[in-house]
Amino acid sequence: MSDHLNPALLSVLADGELSPAQLAATNEHLAQCASCTSNALFQSLLKSATAKAGQRYAPPAQSQDRLARLAKEQSSLLELSTLRESPHPLRALGIAGWAAAAALLLACGSIIVFERDAHQAAIISSESAALVTEACDQHIATLAGNAPPQVISTDRHTVKPWFQGRIPFSFNLPENLPADTRLEGADLTYLHNQPAALLLYSIGKHRVSVFVLQRTSGDSNGAVSAEHAGFHVSSFSTHDLDVVAVSDIDPIRLSGLVTVIEQSQDGVRK
Amino acid sequence: MTLLPWKRAVRSSGPQTSAFEALAMPLLPSLYNVAFWLSRNAADAEDLVQETFLKALRGFSSFEPGSNFKAWIFRILRNTFLTSRTGLAAQRTLSLEDELTGENEGPALYPEAAIDRQTPEMNLMLLSDRAALQAAMETLAPSLLEVILLADVEELKYKEIAAVLDVPIGTVMSRIARARAGLRAALQASMNPSKPTGTSREVRA
Repeated sequence: MSDHLNPALLSVLADGELSPAQLAATNEHLAQCASCTSNALFQSLLKSATAKAGQRYAPPAQSQDRLARLAKEQSSLLELSTLRESPHPLRALGIAGWAAAAALLLACGSIIVFERDAHQAAIISSESAALVTEACDQHIATLAGNAPPQVISTDRHTVKPWFQGRIPFSFNLPENLPADTRLEGADLTYLHNQPAALLLYSIGKHRVSVFVLQRTSGDSNGAVSAEHAGFHVSSFSTHDLDVVAVSDIDPIRLSGLVTVIEQSQDGVRK
Repeated sequence: MTLLPWKRAVRSSGPQTSAFEALAMPLLPSLYNVAFWLSRNAADAEDLVQETFLKALRGFSSFEPGSNFKAWIFRILRNTFLTSRTGLAAQRTLSLEDELTGENEGPALYPEAAIDRQTPEMNLMLLSDRAALQAAMETLAPSLLEVILLADVEELKYKEIAAVLDVPIGTVMSRIARARAGLRAALQASMNPSKPTGTSREVRA
């Protein structure tokens, strides 16, 4: 089974969004795997069936007329207000000119003094914020979807080998987990536009999503603990990996799990 | 540089607003369809589309000519839905049901149905029932339903969907794959009611 194409890839294939290289590799596999060909066909049929079934509701005729009238009325009102609010051109030009000159002067001064530091800080901060947002978003989608993970197992010796050949890196899973913590399974996902291992844990009734992805930049974010949209986010980086954990469990228990995962990475560190 | 710049300004705002009608009116059926799927009733769908039109018209000056109008207006529709009464209620219902589902299922949070063993014939049978597929779509969570409507029904590209939902393309891919897995599980459950997969869920306000 480990040689089969994963459903996420087949889904992208059905949408015609694979890159030429991915498409060539996928076609090569499909040419010799009946099971994956059947799954690819199903994804494609499901897409076209959903397209038809999804076109279910048409607006009533009176609603169309009303909205068309509304669009016309609002367009006219907007044109009128544009006419009234247009300032005297010369005065507006003068004010705008002075404002632009002042802004330019201020901006130039600020840029010269702070450019380097601010730029560097902004890049790191925005990358970190984007990663946290995306991880939270995927965690919410996982909760909302309630779909089974691609590999369902509480055994780390089943979950870790499942990723062989699916992701271009390796990682370790801890043998001893904190009390009331359990490995539920894992998914292959995409984070920051790169393949990532999504490890699904539960702590009591709370679910935890742990994203493991390959480090692409040299700058380390170090251990980060943050809150986003009511979720707690805890992360750490090793030489090769970035790991981000998201959950609504209290931060202490979340960091307990993250710590044992971090300790287990010693074996794969360079 | 010109003698009467205000005339030029008025002239450029005229075609802009009539251009709005030309761009928006053909999308009305699509907007209404998606609005109905999300809000689940005709009155709310009409309100949603009307509010979307008004917001789009007010913000039309910020729309860049030549960029994707369809993605732009669907983004407004989606944001309007999320802040609407039905949108907020749907989000609340979802989080409550997550809690309940977790309690009922006990320690095993996922069903044992990860590996597909369907034959091509079975797959065709699953997809031939349009009503069953629509019922399966109704069981999807709003975040998965909207992505499947944008991808399959509206035929938006991943890049456009990412712009509508304001999420990275990787998230779009992941959500679409999850939505399709959910649809498949719900269809299989409808074929074999005695063997629940547990992946589908009623999400109603």
